[in-house]
Amino acid sequence: MNQHFITTVIGSYPVQVDTTDLMKNYFNQTESSWNKYIESAVSDMTAAGIDMVADGQTRDPFINIFTRKLKGCRIRDRTEIIDKVEYDDPITLDDQKYVRELIPKDKKLIGLIAGPYTLMKSCVDLHYKDEKELAFDFAYALKQEAEQLQKHVDMISIDEPFFSNEMPDYSKELIETVAKNLSCPKRLHACGDVSAIVPKLAELPVDVLSHEFKASPQLFDAFKKYDFPQSLCLGSVRSDDPRVESVEEITNHIQKGIDIFGDKISQLAPDCGQRLLPRDVAFQKLKNLVQAGENVNG
Amino acid sequence: MFFKGEPDYKNAGIGLKKMMDISKKTGNPAIPDFFIRKEKHIEGIINFIEEVIPKSYPFSIDVTDPSVKLQILELLHEKNLLHRTIYNSIHVGITDEEREALRKYTPEMALIVAFNPKDKSPDGKLEVLENGAHLTDSGLLDIAKNAGIKKLLIDTAALAPGDNSGAAIAAIPVIKEEYGLPAGCAIHNVVEKSKWLDDFTNSRKTVDASSNVNIPLFGGDYAIFGPIENAELVFPTIAWQDILLSEYTEAYFGTEPVDFHPRRKLL
Repeated sequence: MNQHFITTVIGSYPVQVDTTDLMKNYFNQTESSWNKYIESAVSDMTAAGIDMVADGQTRDPFINIFTRKLKGCRIRDRTEIIDKVEYDDPITLDDQKYVRELIPKDKKLIGLIAGPYTLMKSCVDLHYKDEKELAFDFAYALKQEAEQLQKHVDMISIDEPFFSNEMPDYSKELIETVAKNLSCPKRLHACGDVSAIVPKLAELPVDVLSHEFKASPQLFDAFKKYDFPQSLCLGSVRSDDPRVESVEEITNHIQKGIDIFGDKISQLAPDCGQRLLPRDVAFQKLKNLVQAGENVNG
Repeated sequence: MFFKGEPDYKNAGIGLKKMMDISKKTGNPAIPDFFIRKEKHIEGIINFIEEVIPKSYPFSIDVTDPSVKLQILELLHEKNLLHRTIYNSIHVGITDEEREALRKYTPEMALIVAFNPKDKSPDGKLEVLENGAHLTDSGLLDIAKNAGIKKLLIDTAALAPGDNSGAAIAAIPVIKEEYGLPAGCAIHNVVEKSKWLDDFTNSRKTVDASSNVNIPLFGGDYAIFGPIENAELVFPTIAWQDILLSEYTEAYFGTEPVDFHPRRKLL
């Protein structure tokens, strides 16, 4: 069977930050560059053979990457909302441009955006007292970031892990606010067990739905019951378990996905971001994923 | 002290005496800070401290090399000096070995450098104190407390103009309000290393002084300066500012200066 899927990632990748070096630079009053950490994540992804890489979200946990730069947010133990949330300057654009410089021409790049609903749910609201209003202000701000990114990346992924807990009635409108009129394809990633919300996911205005089929194999049955317009990014190795799945195990998992969904499968990826895994484990999982993908692709 | 070159104990003794004299004269307390760059300097400098600093007096040990830090803590313990030691400093570069050493040989006091490479604003400084900005597994305050250190000073991490320089000053009242801990900074370090000031060589000391007066003006509890020869410039400058503030705060809030306040020396 000649499949047309590519291998990619969900977002984060483990990195060991040299804090001693950061402090040495501070004491010498010299600026520290983060590029070496981005480079370490990207070089692992390309060395593993991933077709569409990301920047690895090495700077911060994915919520903080955005709330650190958006107006109206301040980071304490969690992010606190203290004023109207607004876009200020590009958040991840420089990192995407840097990754583009690093990767070979035949590799693709995926831009990553934390979803507005997840951002809203992850913050302590001291200003709005209205979840929907806050979520939409996040969406308006993220839209501007997406517009900045669209010229520099091959796809934009909107990460909404909170959807697996709760998907509000305004989800479609919310995602549309971010995704509408973007020139590049869009992916929505929601980890966790999304079995109960497949019909609502099917309504979202994105090209690809990305879910953790490896940790939540019940998703195979949940999705096959419905007709959905998007293609699928098949989570194929676990992100919450340091056990490295064998190539054979991953191959069988992908084959199962193809048997059920056929050419609906457009991407293979880890279930979620790999930030919490040891680096050697994360790398081997990607490598095995690529090998399994090649086995199935023929 | 001993920031550059080989330790010159003779001149250091002279500098210390001058600083203590001017401290007494102006009313502003002084705590000597000893920079120990290399392993070979450890014993000589600690011996110097034992010989020269009065027995009831605190001192600060300033070390950047993690391996040197561990050896110094052990030696301070052996010489029964930890109860007088300000450990300079705890920051996001702390290693596991250093944490273990601090638990084993716990100094009475520590200076915490609230430098957050991810966010240099006052908010970023609070973040690194509270949760380590995901660069350490817990906040710097908890790291110090878990080691058993009882008395903390917060260094608001001064940075150069063009790199959020005002944040270190603005963070002083914010940190004092938030934690009730004494706060200050080493703004002289920024002035000393400024390449921009290379074009205005005659202005460096004036800029240094003008930067330092911001610390008491914003409620700072201490200013770190160096080298010790600058004491004769720094102490009157800070004392002058203290007097100015005291006269104002007494007139406005009714706050009277403590017995050793510089204003008492003026009267």
